Amino acid sequence: MSDPSAPRDLVAGLTRQLKRRGVDYADVRHEHLLHEHLVAEDGRVTSISLSESAGVGVRVLHRGSWGFAATPHLARAALARTAGQALALARAAATVNRSPRPLAPVAPARARHASRCAIDPFDVPLAKKLDYLLWANTTLLGPDAVQRATAHMDFYKRRKLFCSTEGSVIDQLLIESGAGLEVVVQSGDEVQVRSYPNSHHGALAQGGFEYVKQLDLVGGASTAREEALQLLRAKPPRAGETTLILDPSQVVMQLHESCGHPAELDRALGQELSYAGGSFLTPEGLGRVRYGSPQVTIVADATIPGGVGSFGFDDEGVPAQRVDLVREGYFVGYLSSRESASRIGLSASGGAMRAEGWDVPPLVRMTNVNLEPGTATLEELCRGVRHGYLLATNKSWSIDDRRLNFQFTTEIGWEIVDGRRGAVVKNPLYTGITPVFWGRCTGVGRREDWRLWGIPNCAKGEPMQSMHVGHGASYARFDGVTAAPAT
Amino acid sequence: MIDEDRLLTALAKLLKRTKADGASVCAHATVRRVFRFAYGAIHQSLVQEGVNVIVKVIRDRRVGIASADTLEPQGLSRCVRAAEQIARYSPPQEHLAPLPARHRLTATADHVPATLRVTPESLVGSLKRLFHLCQGAGASLAGSLVTGEDEFAVANSAGVRCYAASTVAGAKLVTMFGRLSGYASGVHRDVRRLDLDALLKRSLSQSLHRREPVTPPLGVYEVILEPEAVGELMAWLGSIAFGAKSLAERTSFLAGRLGERVCDRQLTIYDDGNDPSGLRMPFDFEGTPKQRTVLIDRGRAAGVVYDTAYGARFGRSSTGHALPYDETEGPLPLHLGLAPGRTTVARMIRACRRGLLIPRFHYVNGLLNPREALMTGLTREGAFLIEDGRVTAPVTTLRFTQGLLEAFSRVRGISRERRLVADPGQELGSAVLPTLHLAAFRFTGRSEHK
Repeated sequence: MSDPSAPRDLVAGLTRQLKRRGVDYADVRHEHLLHEHLVAEDGRVTSISLSESAGVGVRVLHRGSWGFAATPHLARAALARTAGQALALARAAATVNRSPRPLAPVAPARARHASRCAIDPFDVPLAKKLDYLLWANTTLLGPDAVQRATAHMDFYKRRKLFCSTEGSVIDQLLIESGAGLEVVVQSGDEVQVRSYPNSHHGALAQGGFEYVKQLDLVGGASTAREEALQLLRAKPPRAGETTLILDPSQVVMQLHESCGHPAELDRALGQELSYAGGSFLTPEGLGRVRYGSPQVTIVADATIPGGVGSFGFDDEGVPAQRVDLVREGYFVGYLSSRESASRIGLSASGGAMRAEGWDVPPLVRMTNVNLEPGTATLEELCRGVRHGYLLATNKSWSIDDRRLNFQFTTEIGWEIVDGRRGAVVKNPLYTGITPVFWGRCTGVGRREDWRLWGIPNCAKGEPMQSMHVGHGASYARFDGVTAAPAT
Repeated sequence: MIDEDRLLTALAKLLKRTKADGASVCAHATVRRVFRFAYGAIHQSLVQEGVNVIVKVIRDRRVGIASADTLEPQGLSRCVRAAEQIARYSPPQEHLAPLPARHRLTATADHVPATLRVTPESLVGSLKRLFHLCQGAGASLAGSLVTGEDEFAVANSAGVRCYAASTVAGAKLVTMFGRLSGYASGVHRDVRRLDLDALLKRSLSQSLHRREPVTPPLGVYEVILEPEAVGELMAWLGSIAFGAKSLAERTSFLAGRLGERVCDRQLTIYDDGNDPSGLRMPFDFEGTPKQRTVLIDRGRAAGVVYDTAYGARFGRSSTGHALPYDETEGPLPLHLGLAPGRTTVARMIRACRRGLLIPRFHYVNGLLNPREALMTGLTREGAFLIEDGRVTAPVTTLRFTQGLLEAFSRVRGISRERRLVADPGQELGSAVLPTLHLAAFRFTGRSEHK
């Protein structure tokens, strides 16, 4: 839509200017984002939109206090005014803050990074994208019970230029593509929803249009529609303690809420108390607290190709890395920033600082928080289960302000009887306490069934920032879980 | 501040640039200054300024939408061209509602210059005082303090020209004392009337209780829900049931039940974007004036909110609840209100034999079973046990799983006093709500970890 090239001289010049003004540290980040959003509903295209956002964010550390200001205006005067605002805010905060905020060291980098992309989605003719979208959408239609059928595609192209007073100059280009389907069916008072390939905005990955083609939306649409119709006739699950096998699509949400968020170090240090709360994973427990069973190893991996939490460098210039959060059941690491890492005595940042856009400061965010695969097939996980459920595709989610008590419902479940998958169940609900639940993990599925998902709407911070984060998972089995019908 | 003239002139010029049959453009300019703090230190101080312009063009019944974060002529031209290009590729829409026509709007006086003029030093000075007060009480403080400004404008080729400016100031205060914590939040258009000391006092009163928290058995309790707790539930009702899209898809519990009694006759729920006690906005993103819309009328399902598209689909007029053109959620109520009752919170507590007093909920989710308005969520800071008409002890975190229609069918009391509930960090939405006394609310889990 426009010339996305960053004003390199202006950004670098502003950084030098701040250094001359004697700040402890400063970084200047220019971002340009294009987002295309396509929606088809009930056999017709209902929305095509393209949004463009560009501007500069300035972050200043002065006498141990942060100030941040942002502007969409790229004129020299506007940038200087913005830098002045950031410095003024830091100075004001410094009249309260007594202790310095040292930053864990990072080597200055002069680098370029681009995510993998075979087919730039913004080069694909709109008509071609719409044809495919409508084909998938109309496949959902047919039976009278279908109340609404939706299909959508999303494409993002984000360019970032980062300069710091420590000498970093980093260019990045990140392209993401995603798509999804949802069908709502009704019979009498019964209403059910089924999504493909996942709920809450479908699937999203770093990559080009080739990713959308791989999703096989048309094939998935038929399955989603048939399963939705089955749900109208299905029974709810029994209430009580049972064995659950979670499909990778639901393990994703379980990881997100009960591991990813509590492992954010800024949250553990109390910096989210006024919004989403704290964390039971406090620094005293690092390396000592048992989080789950020995089967459970969870990593935060910003280097994995295709993950929407992947990058070359985070938004304070720290190289992407893979950090163990839980190793064989023990809590061993945090998602961290230069400041938060330093506060608990870590020698380096975990490289998890990201901002939603140019107009907000970076926060500690999940990268790709993944449950490492085990070796079992789904059949092997089901083996020995006298009665239990296989649950797939998240429907609702809720967890307390320390990330302990959670409750989830999924779109669909299947009864498991004597080790075999049986009838579909509707409205399944399960609940638990995070370390107890993960402590009852008795099996993790094999690498062949492991899949990386993208979540485009992880909320955190004030002003609230909606971040794209990744999660990889295979099937996982949990014994002694409380399940019930959501009625 | 951009100001009315400059903003509407920019939008009018943009409309002239398009060769489309019809066009509509909405703009939202915002300024937010946000301080966040925890344990006596300010860990975030920011100022955020921006403008977002969304253009919708219609050509041969084909629609194209594009947006940009700029008011600069070149950027707006690109945005219009992108929308026109998209329209060329869009399939024609059979049921395209006409653009709203010019109308008269009541002027609002929601822009308080003093809120914008307050300096960072002055805001930090206020926080310093709160830190001292809290320290003196032996408690720790975390929270956020926000000031800001919003300007909304809509113009279209049918003659609509709307503009509204407002300011906002708000604070959230979490106080912590040992295993206890308290919470209070407040919002006002005028930063001078944001009473931080009163908020701190309310939060401290919860966290400085003389007793340690108790863990009551799970089960059904009477509950007295303060306005912020009611607000969490109402926000979910708004999104799952009170918009025309959920009625069309039959996922709303109102589908097939309009005119029927769905909850206690004491309850009247409405949306009113013109209520001066809320964070009002006199028009929607299509430029239609906000209409007060009754959703539940003395317990009966009364209606939902519409934009022009869903209005045309149901043979009704828009009620002024359109979201920005690039949103696909359909029309939603963003200014909910619950009609006041006649009692007071003190009387509610005295009338309660055994129950829970809940100032706010955490992480409510209303997607469990929308047809039954089944929701789950948790208590957080400042929840107390009530025994024999007295508040006796703080309670540890509890989870509820409850059908709202069932809970709202047995109302024991509604307070006369109502409070504005809003997040000052968000640009849109507020609610004006009383405290609600419900006869039965089911608690299904607790947060335990040893």
